[in-house]
Amino acid sequence: MNGRRAFARWRATAAPWALLRAFVIFVYVFSLGPILITAAVSFNASNRSFFPPRGFSLRWWERAVAPEWMDSLLFSLKLGSLTALLGTLLALPLAFALYRYRFRGRQALLALTLGPLMMPTLVTGVGLLQLLQSLGWREYLGFTGLLIGHVVICMPFAVRTVSVSLQTLPPNLELAAASLGANRLATMRHVVFPLIKTGLMAGAVFAFIHSFTDVNLSIFLARPGETPITVKILGFLEFGFAPTLAAVSVITLLLPLVLVAIVQRVSGLGDFLYGERNRA
Amino acid sequence: MPEPALRLVGIEKHYGSTPAVAGIDLAVSEGEFVTLLGPSGCGKTTTLALVAGFFPATAGEIYLKGKPVADLPSFRRDIGVVFQDYALFPHMTAAQNVAFGLKMRKVPAPEMAKRVADALDLVQLNGLGERRPLQMSGGQRQRVALARALVINPTVLLLDEPLSNLDLKLREEMRVEIVGIQRRLGITTVFVTHDQSEALVMSDRIAVMNAGRIEQIGDPADIYERPATRFVAEFIGRMNLIAGVVTADRRVRTSGGVELPADVPQDLPAGAAVHIAVRPERARLVRERPAQALALQATVRQVFYLGATREVRLDLAGGERGVVETPNDGTAPNYAAGDVVWLTASIGDCRILAAR
Repeated sequence: MNGRRAFARWRATAAPWALLRAFVIFVYVFSLGPILITAAVSFNASNRSFFPPRGFSLRWWERAVAPEWMDSLLFSLKLGSLTALLGTLLALPLAFALYRYRFRGRQALLALTLGPLMMPTLVTGVGLLQLLQSLGWREYLGFTGLLIGHVVICMPFAVRTVSVSLQTLPPNLELAAASLGANRLATMRHVVFPLIKTGLMAGAVFAFIHSFTDVNLSIFLARPGETPITVKILGFLEFGFAPTLAAVSVITLLLPLVLVAIVQRVSGLGDFLYGERNRA
Repeated sequence: MPEPALRLVGIEKHYGSTPAVAGIDLAVSEGEFVTLLGPSGCGKTTTLALVAGFFPATAGEIYLKGKPVADLPSFRRDIGVVFQDYALFPHMTAAQNVAFGLKMRKVPAPEMAKRVADALDLVQLNGLGERRPLQMSGGQRQRVALARALVINPTVLLLDEPLSNLDLKLREEMRVEIVGIQRRLGITTVFVTHDQSEALVMSDRIAVMNAGRIEQIGDPADIYERPATRFVAEFIGRMNLIAGVVTADRRVRTSGGVELPADVPQDLPAGAAVHIAVRPERARLVRERPAQALALQATVRQVFYLGATREVRLDLAGGERGVVETPNDGTAPNYAAGDVVWLTASIGDCRILAAR
């Protein structure tokens, strides 16, 4: 009798916490674990990827920061930044058109814009490669081709975040601005833009990360000397998982994290990235 | 006659084939407070938005101080608008909100600072200029919105149900305050509401709207005491409506056979179906058949005690329902459910309205 009551009390009070704790541990082990292992492996003194590492050495890190890798890393950074910029610039008018107005062909435009989000990027990559070839634009493979492809697959993120912030705008603000004498441009500059700024920033960050981490599409459009870091890593993997790769992976992993942290610090993006609502 | 501050001529707005506003003519004189009153969907807010220039009218012309503005965009019309949800800019302080219109007009900074301070003073928000809208109460936001619309000295002030989001007590305070400010500044004002008591208290004139048209326009007493249509009679206050027919000798005969030598409007021909309309506070109850012309036998159905008055609900002999408000002044007799009484009113208190 007593035991059953104690069990009931445990189930009511302690059990949910125990479950939550187990879940959190699970998340940590499987999301942080691989990263920590990779980081540890990069310090191996051995030239095989032992875990736990055998000995301690920085020689893999020396190789990782050699131009061979750094060029690709810079290439990825450049590609990601430009993708984020172009994607967001295109997303702004698109989000306005799609979520503010009702017009013929809206559904089609919506499907075209958000479609790449649901399509395997691998397919988009193959398709784009064939398109460029059939148009005889082989010389655009590499940076230009990658940029086109990345904008296509990254823009939907920006369209989503921008339209979310457009939809949370109180409805009469633009009319109020107009009644006070602001033309469309002034309304945009003084009222709309300041209020959707975080949406634009979030869109740019998402676009950048998606571009920076993409390998499925990039693998078809890269060419020697114009290779994103992800494709480079994949290529190197054919020779096995050397500790160099572990070091490169850690750099590749930390870079966008640092970037996001900086952007978040200066713009208060937390609500957008983590779905919190600490705005009004 | 001086040019009215605002004049609407044949204004229409159609959405597809359905007219939201079906032909409005209205002139508002300088300094006048005119209310557009009507149920939701009657076109009052659409009419206001057309004056503000938020979307183009399908037909008609709008004149501000004699100048046609129907083709001008909102930002060139020189109007002040207070929205139902206030529409304050959340990323600006109260003072920045108020300054917005002046900034758009490129008013020099020292003058701008002074006018913003004066406007905040006017709405009794001095000292709160640095607050953001989210840190303010509903009533304070309302005041910021009012100051923002007034500071630009607009030709016309447009108020779109500005009180409907406030609680009852605050709403009644703001009524008085808005009218006070309006009178002091002498600013031409168009006010939209569905609240009849707001309209009666605040307006110089009321335009009662229904289905995209103005049913009647007049001062509050006109509208209440001399409603022109059944819709107006029923929308504002309560009304006893007793069905009848116009006879050949311009009297009204009720279904119960009572003949009333009433003041039948010229446009109602003999045989027209009409209603005899009597306000509950103008009708009286007596126990004996009265000598007066309007005398309808009735049975008391229910009596509600309201403090200052009693509300007596009646079943009329003709099968209709009636209501009479009797003053609780110590002289009027008390009635109880089941009493047989006579409802009576003087001819002057009876309006004859087309039944439609």
